[in-house]
Amino acid sequence: MENFYKRWFKILVIPAVILFFVVIIIPFIMGITYSFTAWRGSYFKGSENWWGALVGVTNYIKVFRSEKFLSALVFTVKFTVVAVIMKNIASLGMAMMVKKVSAGKGFFRTVFFFPNLLGGLAMGFVWSFIFQNIFSLVLFGGESAIKIPFLCDMLQDPNKAIFAMALMATWQSAGYMLLIYLNGLNNIPDDLYEAASIDGATPWQKFKNITLPMLMPAFTIVFFLTLSQSFKMLDENLALTSGNFGTRMLSLQILLSTRENIPANYGMAQAQAIIFFILIAVISVAQVTVTKRKEIEA
Amino acid sequence: MKKSMGTKKKASQIMLFAVLGIIAVYTVFPIYFLFVNSFKSQKEIVASPMAFPKSWNLTYLKSAAEQIDLGPSLFNTLVITVVAVTVIVLVSAVTAWLMVRNKTKASQALFLIFTAAMLIPFQSVMYPLVNLMEMLGLKNTGGLIVMYCGFGLSMTVFLYHGFMKSVPISLEEAALIDGANIFQVFFKVVFPLVKPITVTTIITNAMWIWNDYLLPFLIIGNNDKKTLTLSLYYAKSLSGQYGNPWELIFPAVLICAVPILVIFIFLQKNIIEGIAAGAVKG
Repeated sequence: MENFYKRWFKILVIPAVILFFVVIIIPFIMGITYSFTAWRGSYFKGSENWWGALVGVTNYIKVFRSEKFLSALVFTVKFTVVAVIMKNIASLGMAMMVKKVSAGKGFFRTVFFFPNLLGGLAMGFVWSFIFQNIFSLVLFGGESAIKIPFLCDMLQDPNKAIFAMALMATWQSAGYMLLIYLNGLNNIPDDLYEAASIDGATPWQKFKNITLPMLMPAFTIVFFLTLSQSFKMLDENLALTSGNFGTRMLSLQILLSTRENIPANYGMAQAQAIIFFILIAVISVAQVTVTKRKEIEA
Repeated sequence: MKKSMGTKKKASQIMLFAVLGIIAVYTVFPIYFLFVNSFKSQKEIVASPMAFPKSWNLTYLKSAAEQIDLGPSLFNTLVITVVAVTVIVLVSAVTAWLMVRNKTKASQALFLIFTAAMLIPFQSVMYPLVNLMEMLGLKNTGGLIVMYCGFGLSMTVFLYHGFMKSVPISLEEAALIDGANIFQVFFKVVFPLVKPITVTTIITNAMWIWNDYLLPFLIIGNNDKKTLTLSLYYAKSLSGQYGNPWELIFPAVLICAVPILVIFIFLQKNIIEGIAAGAVKG
């Protein structure tokens, strides 16, 4: 029996391994190597092959001196903090309400989930109209009775744009995260709450001492997903602001970096891509380790 | 006492319902908005963006369909999505199943590499990947499918791996004793048992590939093999030098969203349950 599976494992695992190596592992290793060379995309400057074009850490030094890269890094971090907080509060709040409501649970779940299926680029165009025309001219500015300057012309100011982009990103993904939180809430045994009620616990105490600790596994997943989603966001950034007015995020910076210098410096773009990978790997691993530890304590 | 508890509960239910209702309206608002503005002229869109159109005029949808080459774009996107998702699901399911059944060092190491690769963002491999694909003569639709398969594997294998553990090996053994071969065991015994996670992986992969912009942009560019999202991007950026051509953008976005809308309406129950199942295991 074991031999049977072993024999077939060796044969049937081949397609996956080939695909995986061609598409991810080989380009990844090429990418690390090329980031230390004078790579120009289709050729290496001054050499036939990459080892003749090695330039050491020059590309990395250039990246850390590049104002565009540093400002994209700062903006990405700011956006990620705001977006992760907004997505988590919105989805947890909605999940708690959907759990409590006595009718229409399925309907609300479905409606909230729907934006998830639509494309970030396509809906980004629609949202850019909403921010420019509806928010700025109809609802909160122009001839409207309610005037909220913060909600007008949000896409033309880097600080307001963070919230505009986070608002759209939350609209898109809250319904998905809600499903994960809802599942976590459904796994909390009711007798915990009943026992707490008998002991006279307030709703806040119940939330803090029962709901939150019991939700830690769901929180680990949602935190992981929202963090990497927000840090890597590209389509919404492109559709809403095209990275103008100091709103360029790292994904867009890596993409545009090869289009802004002539001749295009792919070596330098690749160095940014490697830094991007290291940031994501470190943040994700740190986050999972920390929240997992909390899970065990709880 | 009992009665006042009842009314209090009722009041809080009404409150909950109202708040959720408001959030629901907010959620569908952009979609309503997309719909009504797909039938208006540029002037009408800017003048009365929230209202119903004066007439349900199909001119703008027709001209948007032309500008995004609806026929070929839709066909390309459909072929890419269907082929890539089929390959991802079959290859991942088989791989994950055999990984679970083989507790060897090699199989565990492979699973670890697959899982760790989820941390590699697309941006950090895209330039060398395009380079490699060009060398292999795969800078075309076929290559695009290969790349989607490669990128979809990690996550999908991971999801199946979690699920395959709950498939009882005794069923497989019984089938083998009855003379079934490995493919019969897989398709008749294992695959039906993991259906919930298959639904999840089909949906998440299909949505991602259908809506993806960056990979087709890098591989296909502006030629007649464009996908829907890519056509939308070029239609907007090429006609947008003088402000945004909303009378083109709204109907074009609507056209791109309609296939998803239709599928969602028919399969919503499966989709929501599938996503919830996958999210918990993942």
